[in-house]
Amino acid sequence: MTRRLPWWLGGILMALLLLFSFSVFGADRPIGASTYIPYYAGIIFGMDPKDYTYLQEIEKAGAWEGVMLFGVFVGGFITSVFITKTFRFSIVPTAWKVYKNNSIISRLSWSFFSGFLLIIGARLAGGCTSGHFLSGMSQTAFSSMIFGGVVLVTLLVTGRYFYNLEDSK
Amino acid sequence: MSSDEYFDFVVSRTEDMYNIVQAEGHGSFWLVFIIGILFGAIIQYTRVDKFEKIAGFAMGKDTIIPKMLFLAIGLTSIALYFEIKMGYASYHPKPMILSGLIIGGIIFGIGMAIMGKCPGTGPISIAEGRIDVVVGAIGGLFGGFIFTKYYDVIFKPLMGESYGKTTLVDVSGDHATLAVFVFGIALVLIAIFIPRMELFDEADLSMLDNNERPDTMALQEHEKFEVVK
Repeated sequence: MTRRLPWWLGGILMALLLLFSFSVFGADRPIGASTYIPYYAGIIFGMDPKDYTYLQEIEKAGAWEGVMLFGVFVGGFITSVFITKTFRFSIVPTAWKVYKNNSIISRLSWSFFSGFLLIIGARLAGGCTSGHFLSGMSQTAFSSMIFGGVVLVTLLVTGRYFYNLEDSK
Repeated sequence: MSSDEYFDFVVSRTEDMYNIVQAEGHGSFWLVFIIGILFGAIIQYTRVDKFEKIAGFAMGKDTIIPKMLFLAIGLTSIALYFEIKMGYASYHPKPMILSGLIIGGIIFGIGMAIMGKCPGTGPISIAEGRIDVVVGAIGGLFGGFIFTKYYDVIFKPLMGESYGKTTLVDVSGDHATLAVFVFGIALVLIAIFIPRMELFDEADLSMLDNNERPDTMALQEHEKFEVVK
């Protein structure tokens, strides 16, 4: 059994899953994966939906994604343990050590900050890699193409200047 | 809120989550859960949740993410168009909130390059034991808290007004079929022709036998790859 799925097979399987989710036999809606974070935050921080308009707006989408993301967590755990054999505890990613630094403090503080940015950005735009890129562009939505273009450019520019790509060669 | 009240609140909100999904008509709890399992398994099995893949793409050292992403979008766009024509699905595009998309896209892109995850791949990395992503998720939850708290006064105005939910299919009218084919095929071709580059993590591969390692296969298939140790 192969321990890694090639990108083209992954792409085809992802397309089939999206088509199933869109169809009336599946969920009759697109897959999204960023609304669940403010939904979970509302639960964890004890925010009553009565007091917050945003929680009222995302009540349904947040619950749907909240359940889906439980599944994502379980699915990732199963394959990491039984197929890819990649389950292990680690703090600093290897490429971060090579192209940034060896500091745990640095990685964890940047993690907190970038996690914060990811959610603020995704909620401002109304979607993330799943909701905009995968589901949105599959529907040929212009909103998702704009988001996709902006993210691609920003991602590449940030990667170019944030990491020390010259020193380590 | 006392700790008892807080506990009851969390339990009742979690029950709500289950009840909303059951009543909403977008698949039962178990169906949605299984969609999640498959989503997580496909991403984990292809390893595109890895820091080396996402941040590696940002560094210009790995192109598996755009290849897989564009292939999936290209195939889905064409097939979904016909699925909808046959009446088995419908479009649910997101609104064109121009300033929200641009400001949000910039903030999201910066976060994605540094975190090396996105909101969908994060939970998968947590499930395989990445502690830094747990800290990132706490940052994300804090972001969700701030966004919800200041939605009316800061974020909603920042998102600007919506210019509708237009799609390529809408604007091409009678030529919609052709437009979707051109769009879909172009994306598939882009996916195929983006040069394949990979950044492998030795720690990720060390448990595998020699003949299972993707870097030994990469040696035969393409030249541009790098293993970080």
